[in-house]
Amino acid sequence: MSAILSADDLNDFISPGVACIKPVENLPEQHPHDSENAYEVTTEDKLPSDRPTAQISLTDCLACSGCITSAEAILVSLQSHAEVLNALDANPAFSIADLQHLTSANSKKRDDSVPKKIFVASVSPQVKASLAVTYGTTQQEAGYMIEQLFCGPNGLALGGRYGSSFAWIVETNAMREICLAMGTEEALNAASGSSSHTPILTSACPGWVCYAEKTHPHVLPYLSKLKSPQALTGTLLKSILSQRLDVSPDDIFHLAVMPCFDKKLEGSRQELTSKSWQPNTREDYSEVRDVDCVITAREILMLADSRGISFPSLPRTPVSASIKPEFPDKLIAGFLFNTDGRSRQNPDSGTSGGYLHYIIQEKQRQHPGSTIESQRGRNTDVVDYSITLNGQTIFRASRYYGFRNIQNLVRKLRPTRISKLSGKAIGAARKPTNGTTTTAAATEYAYVEVMACPGGCTNGGGQIKFEDLSSLQSQTSHAQSQKEWLTLVDEAYYSMDESNSEDSTEPRTVDEKAQILDVKSLIQHWSDITNIPAEKLLWTSFREVHSDVGKTKKLDTERVAEIATKLGGGW
Amino acid sequence: MANGTVQPRLHPIADLNPPASSRAWLSAPHPNLPIVATCASDKTIRIYSLSNFTQVSSISGGHKRSVRSCAWKPNLKGESSLATASFDSSVGIWRRDDTAHDAKETDFTTGGQGDNAEEEEDEEWRFALVLDGHDSEVKGVSWSAGGNFLATCSRDKSVWIWEEVGDDDFETIAVLQEHTADVKCVAWHPEEEMLASGSYDNDIRLWKEDADDWTCIGVLSDHSNTVWSLAWEGLESYKHIDSFTSPDHTAWLQRRQQSGPRLASCSDDLHIKIWRRNPREKQKQNPLSIIRSGSIEEEWVIEAELPQRHDRTIYAISWSASTGMIVSAGSDGQIIVYREKWQEDTLMTNNDTDGGPSTSVDEDASKDIAGTTWHVVGEITGAHGPFEINHVAWAKRADRGKTSDQEEVIISTGDDGSVKVWSFSAISESP
Repeated sequence: MSAILSADDLNDFISPGVACIKPVENLPEQHPHDSENAYEVTTEDKLPSDRPTAQISLTDCLACSGCITSAEAILVSLQSHAEVLNALDANPAFSIADLQHLTSANSKKRDDSVPKKIFVASVSPQVKASLAVTYGTTQQEAGYMIEQLFCGPNGLALGGRYGSSFAWIVETNAMREICLAMGTEEALNAASGSSSHTPILTSACPGWVCYAEKTHPHVLPYLSKLKSPQALTGTLLKSILSQRLDVSPDDIFHLAVMPCFDKKLEGSRQELTSKSWQPNTREDYSEVRDVDCVITAREILMLADSRGISFPSLPRTPVSASIKPEFPDKLIAGFLFNTDGRSRQNPDSGTSGGYLHYIIQEKQRQHPGSTIESQRGRNTDVVDYSITLNGQTIFRASRYYGFRNIQNLVRKLRPTRISKLSGKAIGAARKPTNGTTTTAAATEYAYVEVMACPGGCTNGGGQIKFEDLSSLQSQTSHAQSQKEWLTLVDEAYYSMDESNSEDSTEPRTVDEKAQILDVKSLIQHWSDITNIPAEKLLWTSFREVHSDVGKTKKLDTERVAEIATKLGGGW
Repeated sequence: MANGTVQPRLHPIADLNPPASSRAWLSAPHPNLPIVATCASDKTIRIYSLSNFTQVSSISGGHKRSVRSCAWKPNLKGESSLATASFDSSVGIWRRDDTAHDAKETDFTTGGQGDNAEEEEDEEWRFALVLDGHDSEVKGVSWSAGGNFLATCSRDKSVWIWEEVGDDDFETIAVLQEHTADVKCVAWHPEEEMLASGSYDNDIRLWKEDADDWTCIGVLSDHSNTVWSLAWEGLESYKHIDSFTSPDHTAWLQRRQQSGPRLASCSDDLHIKIWRRNPREKQKQNPLSIIRSGSIEEEWVIEAELPQRHDRTIYAISWSASTGMIVSAGSDGQIIVYREKWQEDTLMTNNDTDGGPSTSVDEDASKDIAGTTWHVVGEITGAHGPFEINHVAWAKRADRGKTSDQEEVIISTGDDGSVKVWSFSAISESP
């Protein structure tokens, strides 16, 4: 999980590695009978020299986190902002205005002699909060600074081979609204239906998802199938831009700026590529990731640094509208940009998007007269919520942040199998490994918001930490410790620029029902303009990851059969 | 008494019978019953009686790989609870109702184990729970003094703390990942809710709860190689240092009382170190002030190093809570017993070989406080023949040969699968 992948976690020795669990996907070779050397006598087995060398890409390595040596940790951190710069230098950027002109004129006369790309970025609110507190500014201004870096004339555009910059930068807040609305619908349907798969567990945290796939596959049926805001942003940008501007998704470079390293794992997921939403009419599109690269808050600073740009000196105003290209769909544009007014969150929602809070509010709204009660669990990262109506509890949900609490949750969800012992010498002790009482309690929950980082996403592995401040040109910081620092970041996360709010003191009471309808019509529109059914755009799947460590090697034929039946050919 | 030679005061009493069929890792004496649980690489745990040195029951089938460590839950009456740590990455909790079995364990007349007796007794252990979570081999397990917390440590570099929250239900309350390599051992303070862990990364870490979060409050970094085992001093065992009534010694005693029980650690570097907490200076804190004095971090210093006797890795140490003596054992097959004395005493007696001056890192000790030194008072070589000794522990003597109710024996566990019981005769040294 995040702890392993943090760039902080570097030491010089490479730990005695746990065996690499990536199954080497070589089908057994048919060695032609070597008839030439019938008389050759060998006393030892010849090593087959014609096997292809096993290749393990960084993607595989990241996704496994089975051994991750410190060398990989360095690769992870270094490669990423360098990767962005390489991408900018590899291809010049399209001029969006030209593209739109060509498509509206229905012209096929595009000059494809120099391969070009559209560069687009997305940023999460936790990153903005982190940078805001580091440089003593507001979240909104931090957002402008990031926009200036990526899209503005004084940012990345100043250097590089082609002077390329990003055409647009969107906030994942926008897609978060879709996630909240659709996630709530999914959860409430499951709760009221006879689904055996309650509780629904949030699947937006890739640290949690990778851990579950690798270690606790029994919880996979419980995970929400909704894509995360990052994934959804990627799907939206690639599907709309490719369709509207007649550009292959391959030629769109989407960079996401996220609070943690695990989001890089999510970007590499095979389930989150154009393959899952590609319209059948465009078979010429090659399979390409929805998110090409993920960098963290700290890496933004490294990115600016490598181009000789001082991040804190960037203008704290939005990039001039005259420079910004027009987004090829007005309705979607209205939804994607200018999200500040809509996205202010209540501190009760937690810093990870507020899924649980939204669901609780909606459920309570559906039952007028009911009340919400909350109770802190074992520690601040566990909170139980219940909705009572006329003395009866009608809904239970909970928040579980942090590895130690996730342990307890997965234990409760383990099916009560007969103990795995062979019967001998245990006598009557064939009791299930967890008491029946607690299992019942766990399934009483309709929804659990699960996040890997204690304190939520503002405490992600890629955020700027208290220890980093001395080396940065940080101006403010009244914080004396990491704990105090986090409180400041959280405050920035929940805050909103005064001038933008309508009623600046009260959190905006959003009419959730209206919002859900709004979202639905937006999704419909999105589906219409791209010619892709909504299910393909919004939903994803998970799968168990098998480890071969300590197990007897399967027969080749067994493995072949297993590989052949896996979706997408296994790893 | 001959000058310069130590009378081998360790005498073999018996081997626990039958031995394990393969390497035996550790033997844990029960807190109040005269029994001992030995875990072995044959995936079983054998329960032996210390009254008649025979096996009274065994636990098997619960683990898929070697059982590396086990520990009895303290403060239980009428029932026993045993935690077992295995290379299969899981921890097992086994329970037994003691009332029916007390008689059998102390009864000398039921000599060997007849087939009937053994089968009947095998059923008494109930496999209550499996604690999953560690990624790889679990190396150590330890219950806190009050019995409410269980700590486990593993090759996956983490230390987990569990709390029992109901009938056969444990919850994870902390996953501590600050060690940078295999964690070999965990040991709880005899009184406070503070945990010590020792690792292949050469460090010892101390852990305490600070408002909901368990955190590392100190790193004891002095060993130059793997820390294999840790042992806490008993609450009052310093009282057994001879002639402590002299006024010169009161300063040391006061400081000892302030710092609390000391911690002993043994390592691949062939040293055994004694660590003492540096108590926070209370005078500075204004009692009327509501401002907290700050972090809960602690400073620990090395008070002494035991005389070096082992020439290969020291795998285990045990600090007797009643006599204050330390016993060590390791790869070289030696079992060594050490005792603490006041520094002045070395001038008077010379029939014990002095292991050398104690290397006291703490300056205070030499200035105005008369300190202590450690001396070897018993040793035996080749205790398990050519085999390595994996574990050693003090236990209350329970067989016919015991001379008093307080007498203790030494239990050693070896690679040969055998568990041997040794008596230690405490002969007075002064001529």
